[in-house]
Amino acid sequence: MKKKAQVSDRFRDFNANLTTRPWIVWGMGFRRFEKFFSTKNKVMMGLIVIIYLWTLAFDVMLASGSEDYPCVLRDNSDYFEEDYSGPLMVEYKDCVPLTYYGDLFTGGGIRILIVSLAAIASGGMIGKDMVNKSLHLYLSRPISRVDYLIARFIPVFLLLLLVTAVPNLIVATAMWSDDGLKTEWITDHKWLIVNILVQGIFYSAAYSIIGLTFSTLLKKESNASGAFFLFVYGTSIIAEIFFAILKAFGIDGADRVLLISVSHVLDMISYAIFDIEYYVQAGFAPWKVDIGGTELGAVFTIIFAGCCGFMYWMILQMEANK
Amino acid sequence: MIALIKATNVTKKYGGLKALDDFSVDIPEGKIGVLGPNGAGKSTFVKIALGLLTATSGEITVLGEKLTKNTTSIRKRIGYMPEHDCVPDEMTGVEFLIEMGMVSGMSLAGATERTHEILGHLRMGEEKYRLIGEYSGGMRQKVKLAQGLIHAPELIFLDEPTSGLDPNARREMLETINGLTDVSNTKVLLSTHILQDVEMVCDTVIIVKDGKLQMHENVEKIVGEKSNFIQVRIGGPVEDFISELKKKKITAEDDGRVLIIPYKDDSTYNQIIDATVKSNCLLYEMERTTQSMDSVYQEIIE
Repeated sequence: MKKKAQVSDRFRDFNANLTTRPWIVWGMGFRRFEKFFSTKNKVMMGLIVIIYLWTLAFDVMLASGSEDYPCVLRDNSDYFEEDYSGPLMVEYKDCVPLTYYGDLFTGGGIRILIVSLAAIASGGMIGKDMVNKSLHLYLSRPISRVDYLIARFIPVFLLLLLVTAVPNLIVATAMWSDDGLKTEWITDHKWLIVNILVQGIFYSAAYSIIGLTFSTLLKKESNASGAFFLFVYGTSIIAEIFFAILKAFGIDGADRVLLISVSHVLDMISYAIFDIEYYVQAGFAPWKVDIGGTELGAVFTIIFAGCCGFMYWMILQMEANK
Repeated sequence: MIALIKATNVTKKYGGLKALDDFSVDIPEGKIGVLGPNGAGKSTFVKIALGLLTATSGEITVLGEKLTKNTTSIRKRIGYMPEHDCVPDEMTGVEFLIEMGMVSGMSLAGATERTHEILGHLRMGEEKYRLIGEYSGGMRQKVKLAQGLIHAPELIFLDEPTSGLDPNARREMLETINGLTDVSNTKVLLSTHILQDVEMVCDTVIIVKDGKLQMHENVEKIVGEKSNFIQVRIGGPVEDFISELKKKKITAEDDGRVLIIPYKDDSTYNQIIDATVKSNCLLYEMERTTQSMDSVYQEIIE
């Protein structure tokens, strides 16, 4: 016996007026981005506030005239006797937009805060959809698997952009303001602004993709966040220890050890964007790292393609197996 | 008339296992039941028709559109209610449906309006503002159905929609499916292993076993044919009784427990009584069969 429900004409004649795929994907991403700023995400909001307070400290420090902007030439003479002029003594460029991405203990950067934020933001992004199986519902919509991955990438990427490129641009704007908002400052520093943007996009995209990969791999939010954090810092510490040992023994090719550390790879590319030589502290001396652009590009491509391919494969597997 | 779904020699392999084996079917418009035991290949067929899985070989057309590799545009015209529980606990019913509407491509205003309307029809009151994690099994199924209909699709795939529901909730769900899809003219493809679900909702049934199409028939025809039998239970020499019936040009089929005799008209009852008397048998029971599709299904599956 088929019973008919009482349904209004409006329900029967409803026209959904569906939009196009790019708008669906952007909408999915942006709505998730907005959710980050909910009062439920206290830790995330706290980290963003700390990053902006740190940016403010940078501004104050630079405005006081104690540092040059954007770069200053430094050396490591403090570590040696006054008359020492051996090979361990080096001069290197220290640039504020690059220092900003470094570690707190090596020049006052905010890397640990960015990595923490990326870990928290990306941890449950795909894993949650896989655990509660809502992934199937998303993929039954007029979007492809790649669209879904882009939609999950967008919120993390935008959030990280907000704490990478934006604060760096704020510092640059503050310096421009200090200089009396002269038009010449913009023309003189046009490449600086472009580089800050490119560098911010690069760091944000890279951390987002790696974070999402851990989310897909481990599924459970806390596990994925923790593993991502350990991966970034763990590989960095291991690489630096081996680098120092190999340098101490004067072994050729020690620089390549740094390629196992994702944060060093990102830093090397970042320094290349600013066309500045990359140094890594080992022992008393900052050692110049000399790795070719092709080699660096290849490593990054492998990491990037590997992460994207892995995420796609995991989703494909889940669909096939329900 | 355009076929709802047309599959031509579709094969789907998972490693060495063939989930669909040279599967061909031409499904007309209406409400279609895909019936088969667990592991028969029903869900695989639904997923291929939805573009979620790619067939190893063969061709499939849905709503007149050829389905090539993971076609996404066709999904604007299709709704999907998966078998397993897949609704997020941490969202309210309203939030979830609005999100699903927008992921389908609807505007916020359109999705909100449609969400409240559809949940109203599903008789969900204030509970729609509660977290889905607090919902009963029946309410979760309703939300799952609602998300499939949110964007007013032309066709909805329902994969085991009554799975895990108690009899009352099951009946309510089937009535809701009927009601909502009838008035909105939504075509239905219902994949299930429960015969009664197909009888209650569908016009046409296809029976699948081991990835192969076993039967494609109109539900009313099957039910009608099967109700045109008389079930007879007798004591005594059964063979003599069957011979007496043969003389009257009536065939009787012994299923081990009862005799199944085709019903022509009310005179068949008198002929059976006459044959019982002539064969010295005792007539214990005689009734028009109320069997539905069970016997057809059992014959095919076994």
